[in-house]
Amino acid sequence: MSDEAKPSSGEHKSGRVYEAARSLHSTAVKDLLSLGVCERCIFRLVSVEPFVSDLSSVSASTLRSWLESGDEEDASSEESRVCIVCLGVLQLVFSDAKQTLVRSECGSDYAARIMDLVKEEGHEFDSFALEVSVPSTIVENDRAVLFYLKGKYNSEGWVQSEKISVKDALKVLVLDPLKASLGAKSDSSSFHIRLTYSKASDEAQCASETTKHERKKRKTGEENGSTCMSENSFEKVYEPCILSVHCNKMPIFFSGRYFKYSRNVSQSRWIIDDERMGEASVEEIIGGNILPACFGDSYKFHAAGREDIDVRMLGSGRPFLVEVQNSRKCPSQESLMEIEEKINNSEKKLVGVKDLKFIGSQCWAMMREGEAEKQKQYAALVWISRPLEEKDINSITALKELKILQKTPVRVLHRRSPLERERTIHWMKVEKIKGSSHYFLLHLCTQAGTYIKEFVHGDLGRTSPSMGSILGCRAEIIQLDVTDVKMGDF
Amino acid sequence: MEIQKTEAAKNPETDDTIESTKQKQPEEELEHCDEEDELRSLLLSDIGDLPLSPPSATQVNFVSYFITDFTKPGHDQYIYRHANGLCVVGLAPTHVAFKDQGGITNIDFNVGKSDRSVLKVSGKRKKNAMRSESNTALCKVSTANDSYIVRCCVKGSLLEVNERLINQPQLLNSSADREGYIAIIMPRPADWTKNKESLITLEEYKEKKEVSL
Repeated sequence: MSDEAKPSSGEHKSGRVYEAARSLHSTAVKDLLSLGVCERCIFRLVSVEPFVSDLSSVSASTLRSWLESGDEEDASSEESRVCIVCLGVLQLVFSDAKQTLVRSECGSDYAARIMDLVKEEGHEFDSFALEVSVPSTIVENDRAVLFYLKGKYNSEGWVQSEKISVKDALKVLVLDPLKASLGAKSDSSSFHIRLTYSKASDEAQCASETTKHERKKRKTGEENGSTCMSENSFEKVYEPCILSVHCNKMPIFFSGRYFKYSRNVSQSRWIIDDERMGEASVEEIIGGNILPACFGDSYKFHAAGREDIDVRMLGSGRPFLVEVQNSRKCPSQESLMEIEEKINNSEKKLVGVKDLKFIGSQCWAMMREGEAEKQKQYAALVWISRPLEEKDINSITALKELKILQKTPVRVLHRRSPLERERTIHWMKVEKIKGSSHYFLLHLCTQAGTYIKEFVHGDLGRTSPSMGSILGCRAEIIQLDVTDVKMGDF
Repeated sequence: MEIQKTEAAKNPETDDTIESTKQKQPEEELEHCDEEDELRSLLLSDIGDLPLSPPSATQVNFVSYFITDFTKPGHDQYIYRHANGLCVVGLAPTHVAFKDQGGITNIDFNVGKSDRSVLKVSGKRKKNAMRSESNTALCKVSTANDSYIVRCCVKGSLLEVNERLINQPQLLNSSADREGYIAIIMPRPADWTKNKESLITLEEYKEKKEVSL
């Protein structure tokens, strides 16, 4: 007679489990045990009591001894058999990545092993959400065994009650110990721990018949009201499921404004025929510095609008967001300042950054709104085919809220819809250039989405009016700079 | 002024600390002015050599090709090909139509089986674009004496014709190579490679026609 036969008076939880175990329908229990169903599944299927976390601290062998005779601990010959229903999931047995069998006696033991796997990923977290995924065979097995039980014991009350699924039962067993060993809360967190069970191999794990012919037989059997599931149809299972643990943190965001000082740097990585266009990209310079500080998997760069590779972004800078996938650590404001300084003080001075900070997911609304609604300001170096006169300067400055019609520029017509877009040039200012009567600096403030280059050279007459048509001569744009992207909240 | 400010911030132990505290009040205003000054200097410093006559947008962004005596003598046309593959086609300066007195007076897009000017190409995929062969008729230009058929010269999808020419045919006389373009065609890469063989470059065109452009 083992010590575990009767629990000591101090162990209330185990006491409840003991009482519940003793009250189960003994014939059904024996039946299921002989079929190869594990102790916790039996509890799950036969008990009318809810499946609670108290079960977590009771080992399978103890549970078994309570289910059987209450006196003796059974020989461990049965212990190595994998449950035909849950395939080892509720037995807290699994194969790991190295195909080693890992057994846990109770919930806390299991939680400790999970914790080791979670720690390997290196995430920093104070709360988590647990997700469990089990192979669909388990659901089929469960259904098959329940069907069998309903057929045999259908007059009994316990057989009709709602049964908790294997997946949910595992969560019940594991959640509290996991919270304790990780030292974290469990809630709808941004950090997810996913336990994925997968079948070891196809042959070893089908308790129920899955061939088409036999499934049909079962269906007609159901219709006739007869049971075609007999004890013989449950096959032995030899290998438990393989468990892999994945941790994923929801994306985190950083915001700021960037400057582009080079006329040979694109906004995003640009590769044609395996060759990079330009010498670098804003996205890679900024994202490539933030990603390592977060120990993340990857990043995405989003900006409020964009400029061509040969256009500089000056003035107040352009708002941007960097989204980091599966970050392990959240960098401090000091680290962000260091990143900012590193980019700004780099030897080549291609890109600059300011106001780099961590931001919540409300940033999206701000970005989208800023892109379409706000005004942008530019400075363009313009050449005209005849000398600039004072009256030209006056006529240009006098144009306020000028409406222009732009057909989709030829340079983007291959990938955009052929449309005619109405845009507004809010104001223009001419700045003469010393020593030249054909060149001048044109400052202009326009509606978002205006093609500035096409407004200057006219795009073969497809943008009207254009600088050329206003001045009555040919006009060309030599270079362009963005001098302001008005977006207050950023 | 800017250089002084940063130095003061970096060396708090020097006498400049007095200066830095003095600067605090008007600092905001100065900062704003400094930003503007910085912007201006950035803008102006980037202006390099200013050639008397810079290359035009067409010359910079397109590669010029020509085809001469296409289906008939004197029918010379240009094909400006953009880096993105689109081709702008129009009348070359040596086209026979320009030799007639008074130049071109009228243009009609209603040739062949349909009126090219009522095309409704839509969407990124360019639905409903007319598929053309190189000898598909594009339009008919008329002068006082005669009329001439202008053809696509490029096999591809016809994306757009220049309807402004209908009301302003004189654009063909004044700037056939810019505002007087006739159509925009999108060839498939394979079709272009084949097509290209029958076209000549700007240099070859100049030589052939002994024209100084």
